[in-house]
Amino acid sequence: MSYTLRGRVDSRLAALLPVLLAAVILAAGLHRWWPIVLTALMAGVGLALDVEVYDRLLDYQPGWLAVPLGLLELALLMGIVRLAGIDAPFWPAVALFGGAWLFAQVLGHAGYPLLRLSYGDEGGELGRAGVAAAAVAGAVLVSSGGFAYAQRPPVVHLKAGVHRGPLVIARREILQGEPGAIVRGGIVVRHDDVTIRDVAVIGGENGIEIDDVHNVKLERVSVSGAKLDGIHVRRAAVQISDCSIDSLGNPYGQGIDISYTFDKEDSTVMGCTVVGGLEGIVVHFSNAMLMHNTVSRTTLHGIAMTEMSMGMVERNQVRDARGVGIFCNDHSMCMVERNVVVDTKRDDAGGDLWRAGFGVLASYSSEAELKDNALSANPRPAAAVLDSKLKLHR
Amino acid sequence: MSVAIVGSGLAGFTAYATLRHGGLEPGEIVVFGMADDPAAAWRLRAAAIRQREMRSESDGHCLPTSFPGLAVRAAVRRRSARPLVESVLDRYHPSVDEFLSHVDELRERSGWDASLRRARIERVHAVRGGFELDGHGTFRHVLLAPGHPGLNVPEELRDDPRVVHSYAPHEYASTVTVVGAGLAAATEWLNALDAGAEVVSVRRREPVRRPLNVPRQYFSRRGLAGYHALGPEQRSALLRSLLEPSYPPGRRFDEPLARGACEGRFRVEPSVNGTEQVICATGFRRGVEHDPLLRALVEEHGLETAGHRLVLASDSTVPGLTDATRTLAVAGAPAQWAFPGADTLVGAKYAARGFLRRVQACPTP
Repeated sequence: MSYTLRGRVDSRLAALLPVLLAAVILAAGLHRWWPIVLTALMAGVGLALDVEVYDRLLDYQPGWLAVPLGLLELALLMGIVRLAGIDAPFWPAVALFGGAWLFAQVLGHAGYPLLRLSYGDEGGELGRAGVAAAAVAGAVLVSSGGFAYAQRPPVVHLKAGVHRGPLVIARREILQGEPGAIVRGGIVVRHDDVTIRDVAVIGGENGIEIDDVHNVKLERVSVSGAKLDGIHVRRAAVQISDCSIDSLGNPYGQGIDISYTFDKEDSTVMGCTVVGGLEGIVVHFSNAMLMHNTVSRTTLHGIAMTEMSMGMVERNQVRDARGVGIFCNDHSMCMVERNVVVDTKRDDAGGDLWRAGFGVLASYSSEAELKDNALSANPRPAAAVLDSKLKLHR
Repeated sequence: MSVAIVGSGLAGFTAYATLRHGGLEPGEIVVFGMADDPAAAWRLRAAAIRQREMRSESDGHCLPTSFPGLAVRAAVRRRSARPLVESVLDRYHPSVDEFLSHVDELRERSGWDASLRRARIERVHAVRGGFELDGHGTFRHVLLAPGHPGLNVPEELRDDPRVVHSYAPHEYASTVTVVGAGLAAATEWLNALDAGAEVVSVRRREPVRRPLNVPRQYFSRRGLAGYHALGPEQRSALLRSLLEPSYPPGRRFDEPLARGACEGRFRVEPSVNGTEQVICATGFRRGVEHDPLLRALVEEHGLETAGHRLVLASDSTVPGLTDATRTLAVAGAPAQWAFPGADTLVGAKYAARGFLRRVQACPTP
């Protein structure tokens, strides 16, 4: 097919209409915007390539070329999704793109030629139908964008200074702390779709408590002096990034505790620094990705995945933990990769053999896959006990 | 009766199928021609050069819609995805038998025979609101598909008793000169080598190697928009270059020719020598002056020509004789002014679709 530029644009936008409709339905069903954002990006990437590349380079486009061009568009799309931090899950996003691509191929080879006799002669142009398709696609995207804008949670600015807590958040909102904003007495999140950003928390039963809500993000928060956990999560999927938790001297609490979220989406903890506490970061019965964190001076375990948890423990630094550096326990499956675990100390106080200063320990029917970890200055680098397995990958 | 097609060959047949697809009944269309079988002339020519495979691809058919093409039909018939894969790779070429079967089947299905009137139209006379066709009535919309105006034999060879045109039935002597450089010539080189002959190729220029008759972009608006924007002289010059003899690239031709050359049985020479047989693979006569119907039309109505070609609008209609009340359009080789590949099946469809648009826009009151 020798497309004209307008033919490319008409054909692409008309083929995108049903996909856009599907994306709107999907977004409504999931209560997430990514299907519409992804479809809009698909249109944007495709149109940009049509104008800047395809039309200039391709006088004729053989049928087979649709495959490599589709892969190129998919790679660009997923690259933008990643760079822009769009929260589209990978495989569903690929499936949406693949469905749209396939639909466009069927339309291009069969649908359009059947509906419009001169489709090929006119280089893929669809006449008034093409203009209408562009108008409808534009209208849907603009109205979706407008609706999304109107639906954004309100931003509450927390001024610099000390605010008396506990602060209870009971509506969708973004709590944005100004430099020097401190909440004394903890924060309790009781509503879905809450983001807390740039806030320091001092004290509280738990520093930040999140219980049975959805879509909560903690960005650049710090917690110190909590009586129990620094960040305490129950039955909620959370994304925690760039946090700082000080639990030094706390004999009962954990730095970050995410528990009982196995039926929720994956939780992530990335780029956090945790000092002190029984366990620096612990997940119970959850799917989680714990990456790029620094944990030190814990008294029970540095990082722990336990009670049938699954997930990645990757590129973390665990220093000066007492007993165990990284702990994979109780029927859990842990991918332990590229971590640094140093200076783990023996804990002979209770006479427990499994606290003999292990860098990595898999225990009680668990499975830990180890790859490229640096385990040094630990009395026992790695071990599996009580019907557990260590799989070592080079 | 409002619509007439003058010419019962493949271009006329394709136009007929397109009109039928557009909603016209057989009783609303009259086809004037001397052959019942729309592929009659083409069939003889293909047989003469022993053509087994079409140069065209999946879209090389007479159906009004490009989908489903012959590759899809072959895939269904053979229960194999191979034709589809070949089509996606631009490697699918229907066999001549498949193409002819498709024509027979479409002829049966379309009601062609019910619309066919055995008559040769030699004059088309514009009258108020239509065109009078040689005493056969007045028609509001007329498509001329007169076909090629005859076989072309170079002037210097016309009286040579050794000469046979490639499109006339023939066998092969032991030494054969093939004049020409297009697909017919290339096919004849292989035929003659297969027959054990020593083959001499005489050509004015090196043949162009390309898959289809003209570069692919000239089959769509991508190439046509610029083509239509050219002035008469530039367009004539471009058309001459686009229509230079060509045949497809590939091993199908290269390997036998290389083998023949190695064996000393194939060579290129600048002029016809003393071989026993001279096959002129030199195509058809070109120009309105060779076609009695078109020549009379041009002379009677003072129509514009350029480079021996009838000047047409971009939709293959005749500008001076087409208006809001009537249509005179041209399909097939004489329509190359509007569509460089007009003598292909895709070209026939291009003219047919333009004609259908006119008919639908200006129906009989």
